[in-house]
Amino acid sequence: MKNLTWILAVLILAFVGDRAGAWLLGTITQQSQFRYSRLYNGAAACDVLLIGNSRGLIFYQPYIEEKTGLSTTNISYNGLPMDLASVLVKDFIDKNGAPKLLLVDVTMLDKRMDERLLTGFNLYVPDSDRLSKLMEEKYPTSYFGGQVSNLYRYNSEVFQRALYYWNRSDKDWLLDRVISPTMQANAAYLDSFDYDYSPEMLNDLADLLQFTEGKNIKVELVINPYYPPFAEKIGNLGTLKEAIKNATQKEVLDYSNSIQGVEGFGDYQHLNKTGAKAYLDMLIEDGVLDY
Amino acid sequence: MIFNSLTFLVFVAVFLPVYFNLKGRNRLIWALAGSYLFYGWWDWRFLSLIAISTMVDFYLGSKMHVEDDERKRKQLLLASMVLNLGLLGFFKYFGFFTDSFVAMLQNFGLNPSIHTLNIILPVGISFYTFQSMSYTIDIFRKKLTPEPDVLRFATFVAFWPQLVAGPIVRASDFLPQFRKDHNFEWNRFTSGIAQVLWGFFKKVAVADSLSPIIDQCFGEPNAFASIYLLIGVVFYSFQIYCDFSGYSDIAIGFARMLGFDFPHNFRTPYFSKGFSEFWRRWHISLSSWLRDYLYISLGGNRKGNVKTYRNLMLTMLLGGLWHGANWTFVFWGFLHGLYLMVERFWSKSFGAIMDFLRFPKALKLTINLLLVYFFTCFAWIFFRSPDFGTAMEVINGIAGLEGFNAVNIMNKFIVMKGVMLISFLLVVEISDLKWNWGEVVLRNPVFRVASFAVLLWMIAFFGTFGSNAFIYFQF
Repeated sequence: MKNLTWILAVLILAFVGDRAGAWLLGTITQQSQFRYSRLYNGAAACDVLLIGNSRGLIFYQPYIEEKTGLSTTNISYNGLPMDLASVLVKDFIDKNGAPKLLLVDVTMLDKRMDERLLTGFNLYVPDSDRLSKLMEEKYPTSYFGGQVSNLYRYNSEVFQRALYYWNRSDKDWLLDRVISPTMQANAAYLDSFDYDYSPEMLNDLADLLQFTEGKNIKVELVINPYYPPFAEKIGNLGTLKEAIKNATQKEVLDYSNSIQGVEGFGDYQHLNKTGAKAYLDMLIEDGVLDY
Repeated sequence: MIFNSLTFLVFVAVFLPVYFNLKGRNRLIWALAGSYLFYGWWDWRFLSLIAISTMVDFYLGSKMHVEDDERKRKQLLLASMVLNLGLLGFFKYFGFFTDSFVAMLQNFGLNPSIHTLNIILPVGISFYTFQSMSYTIDIFRKKLTPEPDVLRFATFVAFWPQLVAGPIVRASDFLPQFRKDHNFEWNRFTSGIAQVLWGFFKKVAVADSLSPIIDQCFGEPNAFASIYLLIGVVFYSFQIYCDFSGYSDIAIGFARMLGFDFPHNFRTPYFSKGFSEFWRRWHISLSSWLRDYLYISLGGNRKGNVKTYRNLMLTMLLGGLWHGANWTFVFWGFLHGLYLMVERFWSKSFGAIMDFLRFPKALKLTINLLLVYFFTCFAWIFFRSPDFGTAMEVINGIAGLEGFNAVNIMNKFIVMKGVMLISFLLVVEISDLKWNWGEVVLRNPVFRVASFAVLLWMIAFFGTFGSNAFIYFQF
């Protein structure tokens, strides 16, 4: 009997502590200035919604706001896959209202992403039926783990970022280094590669665009710039654009080779602050940010 | 089957209740069946190797015991060694020696056409062959009488908690424990759970959380600046410690729950003041095995200084090779052999210099600890690197002191998490030296309940799940 009491005490304490801890972390997450916390709090309403993987982070919000006077929210994330992006944009519109413009960097249509990324968004599962369904479908073990232990939902880099941006803005981050001489020299020796996209990803994009129809949202699909010698190594950008056009009936604006020189790049795939500003000037001049 | 998998949870949930409800031979049969299932889950074909090793050593041990002729006893021991080391040599080192032989011939301008076999390394072979060998060697040395019951002997060789990654338990310590039925004991059970939970924390929370940074550093050392490479090496020293000692804790904890006592395998090794002390704290079951069955057999320190140095070096070289079929492991062993030789040669003079400089005791201790940690980390670079080229890139990268001018940068969130977990680990281990948390868990029920709950929360909150295998499985 004494032993049974002991086991019960551990189980009750573990359960109560788990729920109490998760509640506390959930409160911290809700109050954070991190973009997804603002998204699910309904505190991210904007004129221009920006999305992509790490390459989408070069949509530098302070500069767009300064140049156009439009309010912006960037919900890009490192390695963000298309299915999760689609859920986030739909949730954004439900919680914050429709933006006037949705700008999508389509290079997130690639299978080479961190599979554990999606599980990192576990902490927003209580806020989103769509996310919950996606998690349950794609990562049932993690989803179930989050149900058993609510603390487990907060076991991710996404939560660490929410904590980091608890009382500071995450709008102003961008690479400020210039691509190193070593990387510049190595670019010539890189192997060619193809974007590895799937019909499911194209469907997710098409489904997202269908969702935005009738909500009076202008959508622009773009390919953000690559370091030119690196861009030459991509074998199937043309095919990717064609496949997207066939799936969505929408033209992709290709800026992959639009920034020259080294000063604007942080590495092969990402513009730095200087490059991002030059690129955004180009988008503004081309009327991409008009609506 | 690995400890950090859902399959294992199911296995334990079925195994434990049945185990405690059986007695005598039925319990032994259940333990053996469970152990073979545990091992065969990975690849059932390699169960035959354990069975062969078991049967042959059982037979040879019995024959050796009744044999009076010393020459024949030696032949029987030799047969046991040939079998065990032969299996180990074929499955673990065949490709390595063939490749090395071909490379050597190529250096002489020859271009031999030798077909190598693509041999799969059976998990845990280095552990169970050493365990089985200790049985026949101890019988040969007349320190042990043979086990008359083949079922008991087979269970000793294949006992699942320590089968694939140790600790390497000796027949003289472990076999007698099979001779009695262990009733369920609440205190043993809870103490076992405490150690299992702590082991899981070390593995899934600390070791696996550090892994991405280390993989990046050693995967592409040229892409990182010195500070990042340094972080990678320090993280690796804790990853390998937490991975392996975590496994040992889980194994020891489960064995304790089942009624068995295994010796400690790690005792805060990074708090060693010297290298001989390090080896009394790191992978104790292997280092004591090598000491008792190799170093002492070679003559130990009884035949003068030169031979002592030779024996130290040989023991460490073979200890390095035991870890894996790669020259980097041999070099790691060489470095530790060198450290031990230098320590033996230099320790008195070093102490005298410290005394002459009138360093305070605390400063002397700190210098010793840091020196041992530094040189241990230096050796870990070779242990972790897939080849010497990578190791040299890491060393040159660190020595180049390139500051923060990196090609790649590390994810600061993973680094921060790693630093936090290592700090927590160190606080627990340092405070354990004073308070002995294992004892407090047994004495104080409130602390017991609280510590179990806290460990469960920490595993859920910090753990990296997805069945990352233990590093020492490859050895």
